[in-house]
Amino acid sequence: MFQGSANVGSGQHIALLQAAGASVNATTWFDRTNYFETLPTGGLDLALWLAADRLNSLLDALTQENLDNQREVVKEEKRQRYDNVPYGDAMQLLNSLTFPPDHPYGHTTIGSMDDLNAATLDDVHTFFRRHYLVNNAVLSIVGDVSVEDAFARAETYFGSLPPGSKPGKSTAGPLGPLTGGARAEASGRVPADAVYMSWRLPARGTRAFDALDLAFSVLGQGQTSRLHKGLVRGAELAESASATTMGLIGGNSFGFAYSRARDGVSPADLEQAVVDQVDRLRTEPPTEMELRRAKAQHERHWLHELARVDSRADAFSEYATLHGDPGLVNTRVAELNSVTSDDIAAAVSEWFAASDRAVLVYRQEQS
Amino acid sequence: MSALPQPPVGPPGIWSFPQPKPSQLSNGIELRTYQLPGQQVVSAHLVLDVPLNAEPRDLEGVATMCTRTLDEGTLTHSGEEFPELLETEGAGFGVEVTLAGLQAVLDVPVSHLERALELFAEAVTEPALADDDVNRHVQLRLAEIEQAAANSAQTASTVFRGTVFAADGRAARMNGGEPETVARITPESVRDFYRRHVGPAGATLILAGDFTEDPTERAERAFGGWVNPDQQRIAYRPPAPGPTRALVVDRPGAVQADVRLGGLGIDRRDPRWPAITVASYAMGGAFLSRLNAVLREDLGYTYGVRMNFSPMRDSGFFAVQGSFRTEVVVDAVRRARELIDTSAQPFTDAEVTDAVAYFTGVSPLSYATADGVAGQAGLQTLLGLSDDYVDRNLALLRNVTPESAAEAYASLVRPHDLTLVVVGDAAAVAEPLRGLGFDNLDVVTR
Repeated sequence: MFQGSANVGSGQHIALLQAAGASVNATTWFDRTNYFETLPTGGLDLALWLAADRLNSLLDALTQENLDNQREVVKEEKRQRYDNVPYGDAMQLLNSLTFPPDHPYGHTTIGSMDDLNAATLDDVHTFFRRHYLVNNAVLSIVGDVSVEDAFARAETYFGSLPPGSKPGKSTAGPLGPLTGGARAEASGRVPADAVYMSWRLPARGTRAFDALDLAFSVLGQGQTSRLHKGLVRGAELAESASATTMGLIGGNSFGFAYSRARDGVSPADLEQAVVDQVDRLRTEPPTEMELRRAKAQHERHWLHELARVDSRADAFSEYATLHGDPGLVNTRVAELNSVTSDDIAAAVSEWFAASDRAVLVYRQEQS
Repeated sequence: MSALPQPPVGPPGIWSFPQPKPSQLSNGIELRTYQLPGQQVVSAHLVLDVPLNAEPRDLEGVATMCTRTLDEGTLTHSGEEFPELLETEGAGFGVEVTLAGLQAVLDVPVSHLERALELFAEAVTEPALADDDVNRHVQLRLAEIEQAAANSAQTASTVFRGTVFAADGRAARMNGGEPETVARITPESVRDFYRRHVGPAGATLILAGDFTEDPTERAERAFGGWVNPDQQRIAYRPPAPGPTRALVVDRPGAVQADVRLGGLGIDRRDPRWPAITVASYAMGGAFLSRLNAVLREDLGYTYGVRMNFSPMRDSGFFAVQGSFRTEVVVDAVRRARELIDTSAQPFTDAEVTDAVAYFTGVSPLSYATADGVAGQAGLQTLLGLSDDYVDRNLALLRNVTPESAAEAYASLVRPHDLTLVVVGDAAAVAEPLRGLGFDNLDVVTR
């Protein structure tokens, strides 16, 4: 997508923006693909023109040659971020333990080397034509520009782009909790044994997800979390221990817990210690103080998120794209703060039975 | 379509780095308050004039252990209670350890500032530094070193720094200490280090955010009573260069190799700093920089390659850095060494213009938040830079010419006298690298 379009030369998309003082990047993730740039206001027209030209005419500039080149670049990205780092395949293993193979969340977004090798120019054309439509995109602009002016400029550059037949949302329906206690073992050249757990959770935008998000915060976010206090500080079994949610829109979200063993601690003992803290969420629900802390931490993170024009634009885009309502950004803190202990108890009871988790044990390869 | 022509870019608006209101607490701590409208999360940095060369040689890492144990309980609140109190205020506490000095950092919504600032002061001025907590942090640091050693990119950076700087200086070794010295750190040595070096003398408190009332009095209540009669201040000792070397850190079977190719750099006070900033952006900062355009965009050898100049308080270092698949890494090094030789291809007007526009444009974003401003202000304090450093540096940047960029670059980057560190499969890469002229290349395991 940075290789040029009808009126933009190869590599010039980023080069022109950077020469206008822009930070530029793009991300692909389970639920959305995001292209973003932040630059002085005088470059707004250039940024919109470039984005529109690309959306309209990328395929004019997409050749076998630059596809092959970018395929190599993505394979280097995969090696750098996954294949050549300790525990680099843990995420892929958890994806496949938690969701069926044909499920959109059953594999990582970067794919496998085989997938990358197999993608043809034709595949890319088809994918682009199907998804990169002006009526399937959200444009968010944050900065020192009036609302009317911003809409007018968007109209200038994007207004004449032809809409297409909008692809349907993912066909994956909501799945219930994991059942059957999925397990996997992996080994590699890693400095310590580690235990990962994952859960299927409800989709984001639901009260149950918010409740579980707070429960995960109590379980595994920060120095006062139960995992840190129990495993790192208290029993000194682990060098680190944490838990987090990954909110997703396609029927389900992910939840993770993770811990790395201190020297001399067996993976079985570590796993049991994590399980104890996870199960405690049922037997000893979060206290009022724990809940208050989780909400206070969430509020600071959220205020921080809204403190910059770039992350604010991203937040509006995220809620517009996934929930159809950018206004949710303004009610997010109040919504989370309204979650009660009862909400948490109900969600934990529904999604946190002992068999509802997948376990990945990652062992040090003996050399 | 697109009958529309490429639109012109309007000039950037006028922007300045915010200026603080300076004052002093009754015990001499310098206070710098940045009033930043709209910034609801306050950032506080307490900058301590404790350079890492204050650490005893056989206990390096003790400063890191000391700062990491600050929020594990105080004389007033136990190790269980203290972090709970902080987190209940929605506060985040952190520490930053650099060669030039230490910082304790607090982020908190402005509505919770009063209580959080008291707790922040409690952590810094009356930490318990209890035996169990120190011992645990020592073990965690040792585990952290193992994790870093298992990571190819981190190993490359660590080994490179250890090679570029003279072995007898603190800069050659990890800020958090190497395994041999960390293992020797005891709770008593941490408390001793704290007593000797952590105190109000030479300290600066930076507060940034949208304050509803002047925070000076709160700062005075929190920190103004802090005394440490035993505090000794140690002067910062600048690093010295090491001999030029070539090293392969062996990772049998690795699919990629991490490369660092560079040498000694300069700090921000060097008159060449603006010119080398521009030159290194053209060479390895921009997306279509000379290095990235060839090694990523033409050849697909890497996800990205950069040339970074990393300034320290005095001196600094630079490196061409990237990860390349094993099959092409030797060719990547060969081409990189050719590309960084600018003798036949001097920097152009366009490269300089684009670099200046880039740095002018991204500055407001870097300093858009309270933590961005406080982080920069903390850095300026540690490095002895003036409050208007950012503005002055941008002004100097605009005066850079292709000639001044070339001159600065040529004085620092000597393509055939560079230190090379490659972390990768030695069996595949060592001999061919020797063939490139790195005759004295050593293979090490680590």
